[in-house]
Amino acid sequence: MASEGGARFAFEDKISRAALVFAFLMLAVGGLFGITQLLARTPYAPQFISAKTYYTILTGHGVFLAIVWTAFFIVAFSNYVITRELGVNLSRTLLGFGALLAIVGSLIAGLAILSGKAAVLYTFYAPLKAHPAFYLGAAILIIGTWLIGAAYFKAYLQWKKANPSKEIPLGTMGILATWIVWFEATPPLAFMVLKDLVPMALWGKSVDVLETRTYFWYFGHPLVYFWIIPAVTYWYHILPKLAGGRVFSRTMAKVAFILFILASTPVGVHHQFVDPGISNIAKFVHTVFTFIVATPSLLTAFNVLATLEIAGRMRGGKGFLGWLKTLPWREPAFSAGVLAFIIFGFGGISGVVNASYIVNYIVHNTVWVVGHFHLTVGTAATLTFMGASYLMIPALFGRSIYSQALARAQPFVWFIGMSIFSFSLHTAGLLGVPRRTYNVMYAGNAPDAWIPLLLAAALGGIVFASSGAVFVFNALASILAGPRINPHPKPNLAELVDDEEVGPAGALDRLSIWLLLALALIVFAYAIPFYEIYSTGLSLVPPVTPEGLRLTG
Amino acid sequence: MAGKAEKLEYAWIALVVVMLTIFLGILGYAVIGEGYSAPEDAVTCNVKKLEEQITPGVKEVAPGVYEVDIVARMWAWQPNEIVLENPKKVIFRITSADVQHGFEIVGTNVNFMVFPGYIAEITWYPPSDAEGEFLIVCNEYCGLGHQNMYGKLIIIRS
Ligand code: HEM
Ligand SMILES: [Cu+2]
Ligand SMILES: [Cu+2]
Repeated sequence: MASEGGARFAFEDKISRAALVFAFLMLAVGGLFGITQLLARTPYAPQFISAKTYYTILTGHGVFLAIVWTAFFIVAFSNYVITRELGVNLSRTLLGFGALLAIVGSLIAGLAILSGKAAVLYTFYAPLKAHPAFYLGAAILIIGTWLIGAAYFKAYLQWKKANPSKEIPLGTMGILATWIVWFEATPPLAFMVLKDLVPMALWGKSVDVLETRTYFWYFGHPLVYFWIIPAVTYWYHILPKLAGGRVFSRTMAKVAFILFILASTPVGVHHQFVDPGISNIAKFVHTVFTFIVATPSLLTAFNVLATLEIAGRMRGGKGFLGWLKTLPWREPAFSAGVLAFIIFGFGGISGVVNASYIVNYIVHNTVWVVGHFHLTVGTAATLTFMGASYLMIPALFGRSIYSQALARAQPFVWFIGMSIFSFSLHTAGLLGVPRRTYNVMYAGNAPDAWIPLLLAAALGGIVFASSGAVFVFNALASILAGPRINPHPKPNLAELVDDEEVGPAGALDRLSIWLLLALALIVFAYAIPFYEIYSTGLSLVPPVTPEGLRLTG
Repeated sequence: MAGKAEKLEYAWIALVVVMLTIFLGILGYAVIGEGYSAPEDAVTCNVKKLEEQITPGVKEVAPGVYEVDIVARMWAWQPNEIVLENPKKVIFRITSADVQHGFEIVGTNVNFMVFPGYIAEITWYPPSDAEGEFLIVCNEYCGLGHQNMYGKLIIIRS
């Protein structure tokens, strides 16, 4: 089925192209904001933007990159994997209407941010109040993603009906896991936004801080798996084929996907370790689940490394580490994926520190956390998606990459810059430098030890931001002016996606059972904090704007 | 060959499970055995009648034992300067009059969220060599003046 061309999936590919272009534009704007805020908070730098601009673009940076760039890229990737691997069309109504809503919602929220009326950051913690359009835009975006996600499950059920005894192909399994996690994560958030935040923004409804925070982080952690599972899918499914090998253990890969489905949601309280009003018991339960959800990442680390070693040896690599040299490092779709995977390892290590709640208060809300998530969403996901783009642009637009030389260098430059940036920020975080703060020098009251680390972070940031700029330039130039290619570019994404090893269905393929188990775990883990919050009685407080204006009495 | 690969796989899974169990065991022991704890105690309060429930300031309730009541507002701590003499045990009671804030004393492990509507209570045992001036910052975004929200803790030893 891999060789079946674009004609059969013309509509799906059209949506993918739109999603991809939108994602690249968001990456460009968000990246521009990133480098601006980085320079603005660097010691000795002139204060070239106001505090209000700082927090406005910080909101834009978080929303445009962590939500919009990732979500739209994931839609394009999911479309491709599902259609090519299952050979099934997606519902036009669900996909088309969903994509439209998602784009409109993003634009509404984006304009609310850019107009300066929503400087509440991407976590929009109540009772800080943004313009109602910000919350409505976000709600529309989420509803759009639900329709898109529904299209994938519909296609899967259709395929399953035709192939009742086949196991789920590996790429499809990863995509389904991604969207199952999204469906676990988003409904309660949408409920809270509509119940509390929209009324708060429209007519000043008072809300409870602990309640709304707990709803936010109920969503906030599975969100990170929504980013990571597609990247893991790419590492398991595409990387080995790029290197000319096969995944070391299919079973282990599938077990990892199931563990993501089971444990990515009942862990949100690990973002609330230093919240007063939540007991140590709830915190400990969520810690246990967090360590469980670390397991699939550790399995992935082993499995992908073993996969790479097999491929390297098949290519003639010898000796203890000699197989590394024979891998196709000059192929950017490969190098970006592997470098992202290496960075993910370091992100996992700092993540285990965050999750250990008696050391969490050393790092909570410091730039350590900024260092951490630029490794995970900022690189493990983003750099993998960049690598995947080097395959998806030829596959979807019929054009090769504009500059192969730039593409070859870009992942390495990102890797180097990110290593400097992130290492400096982790260290600065241990010294207490707070995140989300315009000018952290506190009029000369900050410790001198902060300064060299912040300067190093700025240097690293400049390096990886230039790599990002090169990527966006090269991607857009390829789409607009890349050399046209005949039907099959090399390497051919459709062939890479195709799963030839599909065997009979087993217990791991019974998604509905795993989903039920996941829901049970969620109910168990969240019964504790919600019982505590509601049994204490809510404590409602009125909204306040970022300027400090109170609208109700 | 396949057998060897599988053995490696199981060995790795076992290693992961053992490692994570040890980590969790250490965490559990630190909390239950050693009394390390993230903040958990809070009582609800009415933001409109804060004065009735909390009086910002420092009180020495026993030699070396302090109660420090703090109200956070956009964009200052009240009190903004805290002086402690030979502190052994410090009980912070903190709330916010408006939005979320984060109370961090740079260079210590005091770092927790401050919510309007809730009074948080946290006990801190300052190390005996803690002395001099410490920067207090707000580390949760709280509006456009967030970067101006900082204060000072002074520990005097004699
Ligand atoms: C292009 C180069 C980038 C630079 C120079 C950059 C720089 C920064 C800096 C300095 C901060 C901290 C600001 C503060 O705490 O005051 C930040 C926050 C953040 N960045 Fe980036 N970043 C970049 C790319 C990315 C990417 C690709 C992603 C994810 C896809 C990302 C996601 C985030 C998120 C989620 C935050 C937190 C925002 C918040 O605290 O509300 N960044 N970035
Ligand atoms: Cu998390
Ligand atoms: Cu603040």
